[in-house]
Amino acid sequence: MPQPLKILLVDDEIVRAAMVEEALAQEGHEVVCRLQSPASLNEMVARHAPDVVIIDMESPDRDTLDSMSLLNRENPRPVVFFADQHEPDTMQAALEAGVSAYVVDGLVPSRVKAILEVAIARFASFQSMRSELDKARGQLADRKRIERAKGLLMKHQDCDEEQAYRMLRKLAMDRGQRIGEVAANVIDILERLEKGL
Amino acid sequence: MTASRTADLERLTLGFIPLLDAALPIIAREGGFFAAEGLDVALSRENAWSTLRDKLAAGLLDGAHMLAPLPLAMSLGISGAACETLAPLVLGRNGNTLVLSKRWSEGMPLPDAPAPEGSATAPAVSARDFARRLRHRGGPPPCLAMVHPFSCQHYQLREWLALGGIDADHEVKLVVLPPPRMAEALEEGRIDGFCVGEPWGSLAQHRGGGRIVASGAQLWPDHPEKVLGVTATWAERHPETLAALLRALAGAADWLAASPEHARQARDWLALPPYLDRAVSHLETLAPGTEPIRQRLDGDLRPSAEAMAPMANHIDQALRAQGGRLAPERLSACYSPVHFDATTHQDRA
Repeated sequence: MPQPLKILLVDDEIVRAAMVEEALAQEGHEVVCRLQSPASLNEMVARHAPDVVIIDMESPDRDTLDSMSLLNRENPRPVVFFADQHEPDTMQAALEAGVSAYVVDGLVPSRVKAILEVAIARFASFQSMRSELDKARGQLADRKRIERAKGLLMKHQDCDEEQAYRMLRKLAMDRGQRIGEVAANVIDILERLEKGL
Repeated sequence: MTASRTADLERLTLGFIPLLDAALPIIAREGGFFAAEGLDVALSRENAWSTLRDKLAAGLLDGAHMLAPLPLAMSLGISGAACETLAPLVLGRNGNTLVLSKRWSEGMPLPDAPAPEGSATAPAVSARDFARRLRHRGGPPPCLAMVHPFSCQHYQLREWLALGGIDADHEVKLVVLPPPRMAEALEEGRIDGFCVGEPWGSLAQHRGGGRIVASGAQLWPDHPEKVLGVTATWAERHPETLAALLRALAGAADWLAASPEHARQARDWLALPPYLDRAVSHLETLAPGTEPIRQRLDGDLRPSAEAMAPMANHIDQALRAQGGRLAPERLSACYSPVHFDATTHQDRA
């Protein structure tokens, strides 16, 4: 079995970082440090001497890592961007998942690729988890808006709940909008009416 | 010949970094110059130049506000994966400042003070002053930050140090930090100075953490600082969209130049949260053509290889250190005015 690699993880998302760390530990690697917005990434890399740095693509610290191979020529373990190892498919997948990797120069590309693939999978599943959550939150907000719009319509149009809902549905169909959007419009107009604007 | 006015792509995304020279795309969007060309442009704020570069190369961005040297570095494959990239328009000239912490800059001559006849120019005066302090103090080398290895900020910082006779590789420690973090790092004492684009230099001085001791405009007058970057593949695939993009940006520059009122309006657009937000709160208007920064955002958008010579010289040196050299045709392919000239020629016709 090959020696475990030392990995430095730079990620602001605590949950995602924990997911990546757990998955890498299962593969027998050692996550030496998990950083959120490091004050001094340079010093952290010098202190922990990681073999691989896994970093959130959107992290402002990417330029600092990107520059290390060019600026610290005297560094005995120069850190290079993984794209330099010519893995276009992996790079594209990484970019789309929002993760990138820097590796110690000379590390076997296949080993890094395996690590990056683990990180890509966790980043992607975190992304879909989050968009599910956003969708659920949106639906909840829509339901609340529809209730409020129905209440206002019942008051202003002197109708019952069933009729108010049919009104919203008809408006939505006529305008080709979602019922949540129509509800938001109705609330806006009727609330202004109530305030006498 | 009748030029088609319809773009072949209607929706596109341009990346930018929060800096004053992202003004033209922001004005073109907020002022309706993109819309007038039939373009629906989303502006995507990026957190790092390397991320912006990689997204452009991978086609996740259609174009981007870029450090002037970056398209060449991408084309040569010395920054990220090799990707032939073009700079068809200059988004801004000057705008960089060299800022030193209060401790290091105390009592240094101001860069906007006119140099007495026959004496050294202002940047050389502050650089020599810095060298004297550096050698007098001893101790660990001071830490100076810039924004990216392939940036005018990096090269201008090195040239300023050279004016003072300072060895950039041994007497100081150079690090890379994102622009929005410079002022804070200076105030916290993690760095001793930096070279960065506006508004971050004037903001650091405004907040009192440091002082501007030299400017990019003094070192490289009117050198292109940021360019529009597109990949060669994208330019080939979408010639009409590129032409529409260039017309819209040129229109935004003309509008900005037309009135001081427009410069104030542009400042207000830049202050919107998706763009520069509070980073421009110390500015009243977007016409900081004042000494020593002399930023120019509203004219001379035409790229050319000649104008890039100071920057290209540094890239050539870096290549020579590895046994190569910069072929002139690579430089002229990257900063060719051919797209710009074709577009402006169409307008005159």
